[in-house]
Amino acid sequence: MKDYLALAPQYLAAHKKKTRLTILSVVISVALITGVFSMLDALLQFEKIQVIHDYGNYHIAVKDATDEEMQAIGGRIDVKNTGRWKTLGEANINGMTCALGALDENFTENLNIEVIQGKYPTGQNEIMLEKWAAESIQLNLKVGDTVNIAVADGTRREYTVTGIYNDLGNMKAQGIPGVFLSMDDAELMPAQQNVYLIEFKGEADMIKARQQIQTSLNIPEDRIGRNDRLLAVIGQSDYKAAVGIYQIGGILFFIVLLAGVVMIYNTFNISVMERVRHFGLLRCIGASPAQIKKIVKREGLTITLKAIPLGVLLGMIMTFVCCALLKFYNTSLFGDIQLFYISTIGIIAGIVVGFMTVFIASLLPAKKAAQVSPVNAVTGSNDIKVSKNKKRGLLTKMFPVEIALGMNNAIMKKKTLFWMSCSIAISIIMFMGFNVFVDFMHAGLKTNKPYTPDITLTSKQGISEELSARAAGIDGVKKVYGRMFGYVDATFDAARLSDAYKESMGGIEATEGGLFTPSASSWLISYEENQLNWAKDKLMAGELSEDKMNTQNGIIAVAANASNGRNANLQLGDKVYVRTPSGTKEFTVMGILNSVPFQDNKQNLTTFITTEKIFTELTGKTLYDALDIQLSSKNQEQTVAAIKGMMDSSINFLDSRQKNAEIDQTFLTMAIFIYGFVAVIALISILNIISTMNTSVASKTKYLGVMRAVGMSGKQLNKMVLIEAITYGLTGCLAGCILGVILQKQLIENLLTSFHIIWKFPVGQIVLILIFTIFVTALSVISPLKRIKAKGISEVIGAL
Amino acid sequence: MEILTTTGLCKTYGIGETKVEALKDVTFSVSKGEFVSIVGPSGSGKSTLLNMLGALDFPTSGNVFIDGRDIFTMNEEELSVFRRRNIGFIFQAYNLVPELNVEENITLPLLLDYKKPDQQYIDEIVDILGLADRKHHLPNQLSGGQQQRVAIGRALSARPAIILADEPTGNLDSKNSKDVINLLKLSVDRYNQTLIMITHNHNYASFADRVLNVEDGIVTELGGAVR
Repeated sequence: MKDYLALAPQYLAAHKKKTRLTILSVVISVALITGVFSMLDALLQFEKIQVIHDYGNYHIAVKDATDEEMQAIGGRIDVKNTGRWKTLGEANINGMTCALGALDENFTENLNIEVIQGKYPTGQNEIMLEKWAAESIQLNLKVGDTVNIAVADGTRREYTVTGIYNDLGNMKAQGIPGVFLSMDDAELMPAQQNVYLIEFKGEADMIKARQQIQTSLNIPEDRIGRNDRLLAVIGQSDYKAAVGIYQIGGILFFIVLLAGVVMIYNTFNISVMERVRHFGLLRCIGASPAQIKKIVKREGLTITLKAIPLGVLLGMIMTFVCCALLKFYNTSLFGDIQLFYISTIGIIAGIVVGFMTVFIASLLPAKKAAQVSPVNAVTGSNDIKVSKNKKRGLLTKMFPVEIALGMNNAIMKKKTLFWMSCSIAISIIMFMGFNVFVDFMHAGLKTNKPYTPDITLTSKQGISEELSARAAGIDGVKKVYGRMFGYVDATFDAARLSDAYKESMGGIEATEGGLFTPSASSWLISYEENQLNWAKDKLMAGELSEDKMNTQNGIIAVAANASNGRNANLQLGDKVYVRTPSGTKEFTVMGILNSVPFQDNKQNLTTFITTEKIFTELTGKTLYDALDIQLSSKNQEQTVAAIKGMMDSSINFLDSRQKNAEIDQTFLTMAIFIYGFVAVIALISILNIISTMNTSVASKTKYLGVMRAVGMSGKQLNKMVLIEAITYGLTGCLAGCILGVILQKQLIENLLTSFHIIWKFPVGQIVLILIFTIFVTALSVISPLKRIKAKGISEVIGAL
Repeated sequence: MEILTTTGLCKTYGIGETKVEALKDVTFSVSKGEFVSIVGPSGSGKSTLLNMLGALDFPTSGNVFIDGRDIFTMNEEELSVFRRRNIGFIFQAYNLVPELNVEENITLPLLLDYKKPDQQYIDEIVDILGLADRKHHLPNQLSGGQQQRVAIGRALSARPAIILADEPTGNLDSKNSKDVINLLKLSVDRYNQTLIMITHNHNYASFADRVLNVEDGIVTELGGAVR
């Protein structure tokens, strides 16, 4: 030993177990920060690709741009690519409705249009078709074929198919193919929409560039469109919703930083506090306070040097897992992102914060250590600050001694209690804060529901029960469920009509029995067993039973019953009177649904759902308007061919599979990272609790030895330590939940209003947190206790 | 009546080259109400012996019988109950529970046994020990001598079969040491307790009925003051 500072690493080496715990807690904090920041970085990379795939690679759009404007914008140094995009309305191609459009060829890639066969239409009377449409039975076209297209005004022209391009999920699901004309042809036709799309260079300041374009060319705001999602992902959005998310992100990442500091500080605090004697001894043999400070800081440095690389590595592994999941799930989209995505930002954040926090965290305990009086070392009295009101020994009179002792231990050391609770509380706050993103994700992104069909058959003539049964019999068809739509005149207690509706009607006069004469018909939908089951998610009151409805003339009301809001506010048990050709029939409201997943463009009074049997009784209709089919995942193409084989030409075949898959992907890209964040934070929180409890128990080795010598049994020892740990856990939980709830409420109500997310008291989360904290706390004291009990008592008491 | 008997007690640390025999075939017995002091140079095995007697450590071979029971045949759970009922410890470093006040520290062995302390007895001990006005103080508000008196109180509170004291005066000045020894002696006489005490001070050793000498792990009887 050449220098007194060599004491630090020597001390650490001599107390391997304690050192390992301290290192662990620093590793955890660094991993947390590296992990969360790297994941955020990776999330943005993946999300950018996803958004470009879903919404196109352009940043802003100018409506009806003049040639001058286009020239001025296209010539800007910060613009990478531009293109004109015109939609020309619906047209009829060989009897099939299609959507006409035109796009500059240089911008096709930006909008994910890929020519699969032939070439892009450039000359007169040339068109390009979507693949699925070209291959459909109605069209059956190849490159080089000619086809007749009738536009909205009735004019017909003959076109040559020069190219076929990739399927677009949305168009495919609606059964309306997109058809591209050459830009020259499109110029001659009246355009429904005419926009000039602009892709800026990556490094451009897009908000400023947009403002410059607007002011220099005098373009009003209503002619500017923005690709909000893309701008948001690359951090170039001044859109309110995006800014709200940025702010939430900022707050949460600040909390993550804070959590890192608190966790490290807590560990350092415990480890220094328990060594009062050690430092006192050093002071006794002549160490100055400054030297003690230096020793503590040197210890911090030694620990940091070991912990930071490990923490960074761990954080990177968490990110790799997320990236690997996404790459595995969607190879085509994310093929270009390397598997081991290394985020410089994340690593730098981890290292910087690691060093900074250890520095800060060791500063305070170092000061405390330096203040240790040499006397403390000799007399061996532990320094506990006790309030002047002497303890009356209340706890030991109220509870069995081991429980009283456990609580006492936790409560008496106010500072330790404070930091232990802080460390747990901040984990909980973090967890609850990040859960806001889960709400956001579910509210802000479309998801597929259990009732989402793969294939929908529609027909104006109706689809028979027999066809439905045949479809159900095809191998590979999982579920088939049909719906009938109809309109009936229905009336009920006029008092149930909403004020807004009465007002819009100029007052409603109640007829005899409190009823009213309906101004419009009501929309009636038939549900069979499957659909009634799925609708249970949306059930606000009552029940959905096919049998009961059939036997007791039941009907289901829908709360969001009209396209413009709520016309009526029906309650369970209300009577509804429906006029049928054979007289008026009385029904009882047996259930109330929040909403239905269909829309009608007619102005209906309300919406009702019934069983197929009642629907037929009321309307006389027996044929389905729509038949939904869900496929099993195997051999879908064969099944689809079989379904197509049994249809006649009156039936429209709508294929939603690609659209569903795209929705799934968009959701998953976000979900993997959001759940990744939550999982990482939960994991880190658990590790943090385990490590702090370990440290706390380990620091009491001698104390526990004395208790055993005095006659405390193993069971009592367990109980005492457990109670102490749970006291820390519960105070932490309490503080964490209160602050977490406040944070959630503030974030949602102030920053996410534009997403229509409603803040609800997170009962589920709190219960989960409570159970987890107590469970983890209990679990975390087991192994250190075992270790202590394995040691002989004399060994432990003798130890300093 | 013999309250404590050891037979062929051996303790060996390490193996091979580093093997140290801390105790070699120790056999002796102590009668009820006796005050036995153990003397010997540092490292002779005194503390090892005392730890064995209190079942804080386990011997390599041999037995210890307290009140007729072979303590090393008990499991940890039985031992802890046995310890709190039958053995009172007094350590050199007091080892009080810092979070508990004087009264709670004294009654701790009873509380651990889920017994209601006999308040009259406890008050009596507190009085004898001169702690009556310190009942609600915490250990760190007391002087060393006072703390050691609390430790004596703790050792007495459960009326154990035997009290083991490991250099109870080691940390105290001569006045406080004298007080503590006198108190110990007083309690042994008054409550007919059995006390085994390690000490370096031959003066204090002479207070005892018998003196055992430990040297290189071998225990020999030195004889003592005549009662």
